[in-house]
Amino acid sequence: MSTTGIDPRGPRFGAAITAVLLLVTIGLALSDVTVGATVVFSYLAVVFAWGAFAGIQRHPYGFLFRKLIRPRLAPPTELEDPAPPTFAQGIGFAITLIGLVLHLVGVPYALVIAASFAFVAAFLNSVFAFCLGCQIYLLLARAGVLGRTGAPAA
Amino acid sequence: MTALVVIGALVAGTTLLGLLWRSRQGRARRASGRAAEFASGSGATLLQFSTEVCSPCRATHTVLERIAGERDDVAHVELDVTHRPDLASRFNILQTPTTLVLDRTGAIRARIGGAARPDVVRLELDRIEGAAA
Repeated sequence: MSTTGIDPRGPRFGAAITAVLLLVTIGLALSDVTVGATVVFSYLAVVFAWGAFAGIQRHPYGFLFRKLIRPRLAPPTELEDPAPPTFAQGIGFAITLIGLVLHLVGVPYALVIAASFAFVAAFLNSVFAFCLGCQIYLLLARAGVLGRTGAPAA
Repeated sequence: MTALVVIGALVAGTTLLGLLWRSRQGRARRASGRAAEFASGSGATLLQFSTEVCSPCRATHTVLERIAGERDDVAHVELDVTHRPDLASRFNILQTPTTLVLDRTGAIRARIGGAARPDVVRLELDRIEGAAA
């Protein structure tokens, strides 16, 4: 756990960009511009991977936020631990990667369905400050996928 | 055309989902069951379930610590369910933070899902105190 907090509005700003690009992906895929949809979706997967593996503090949208948005806002009322939004980036990466793989092996509507799931999460995160880590991490822990007790729940 | 309809439906549906989710956050609901081993306050115990990837858990921690500090007979106990998935199953925790309000016997009197608001927590504690008096 890192001790340096981040401005919680940074990841929400990034999620807004992501949500718009996910709608672009869905729009292109449903208009039969499959190559365009695949390119945008692959870009999103790469950016999610960046956020998940390099950490949310090194996220390119975080950089944009600090340069362009934060100087125009009041100082944050509280700082946030980077672990929750970094986990959310990992979930985003997992969803986009699965969607991309299924699409490339020829599953119909794989891009549209995966992008829709990711859109719901990104939109809720951006607009309502919904926290993916608060639900999904818990479900994974309960299913015994995560957790450090050594004895997964039966 | 189909694309625009799908996009419109997605945005509208997700907005509804978000409004519904937000309206349920931080509300106290009556609950039953027992958690006697965690009842450490002489009047009431605030039993908080958290994980380390959960921002609202930190905010809730601060709120509950402050309230426990204000009241001599109230204790705040925080559990990380990452290490105790068995407890998450036992108390049917579906989101973090979830706070259970226990009376001094360890009976679960209320359940607060999502970030706990001070006014809601105080009201529940007053209710328990009123019933005990």
